[in-house]
Amino acid sequence: MAVIAVLGGIGVIGSRQPIRSVLSLVAVMLALSVIFLELSAQFVFAVQVIVYAGAVMVLFLFVVALLGPMRERAPGRLGFQWWLGTLVALVFGGFIYGLLNGLRFRMPDKVDTSVFGTVQQIGAGLFTTYLYPFELTSLLLLVAAVGAIYLSRGGRTASEIHADEEDRRA
Amino acid sequence: MPDYGQIQVGAGTLDARLVLGLGAALFILGTIGVLIRRNPLVILVCIELMLNAVNLTLITFAAQLHNLEGQLFALMTMTVAAAEAVVGLAILVDIFRVRDVDDVDELSELKG
Repeated sequence: MAVIAVLGGIGVIGSRQPIRSVLSLVAVMLALSVIFLELSAQFVFAVQVIVYAGAVMVLFLFVVALLGPMRERAPGRLGFQWWLGTLVALVFGGFIYGLLNGLRFRMPDKVDTSVFGTVQQIGAGLFTTYLYPFELTSLLLLVAAVGAIYLSRGGRTASEIHADEEDRRA
Repeated sequence: MPDYGQIQVGAGTLDARLVLGLGAALFILGTIGVLIRRNPLVILVCIELMLNAVNLTLITFAAQLHNLEGQLFALMTMTVAAAEAVVGLAILVDIFRVRDVDDVDELSELKG
């Protein structure tokens, strides 16, 4: 699963067509969801498959289909970005590697591990201790939905703008 | 002193360091993608990849510490990621309606 995830991640950044990037990301998410299940996160596994690999990625695919095939041009004027980006990422990776090497784990909490990560436990956590953040996420989703509707509500299209400019010139 | 980094998975164990390394690798791949890709849509996809890597790290520590808060925060991250994807794609479609762009470097001005 880890191999599939890393290969998918390379596919996301390595493919020239956006559609391949999106489909690679679906593969990454499905592989990660299996790892979530191994780490006894059943509810997060279900949410990952349904919300992420299902809804969010279908949204991405819709946008790819809406905008048509876009090929990425070969790096020209700003080709040095490639090297600079890889250099920054390598330095960053070195930092994280050092961090992981010095990692010490503390003793796990003493809890009943047979029910860990079940829907009941998640629900109890969300609706008691974390009720306030949970309600705030509903507000966040509402704002995002209203904002998306407002942004895609209409406005002028390119041809209309072009026609306006023609009128002004005439 | 026992090694607390081993997470019980069914009958066997899983080294938390491996999973954390996978999360770090995916995050770095996402970072490279954001830095070197020029298509705005692919940049959004790479941001999703980074958020997923963070989720993996949160859930790994939740499993290692037997602490549910990591999983709850992973759910919060998913909500934020969904909201971010929706708004980002709406902005992208709006930009594309006005003009055809396949390079974020062409979008360096704020004029409509």
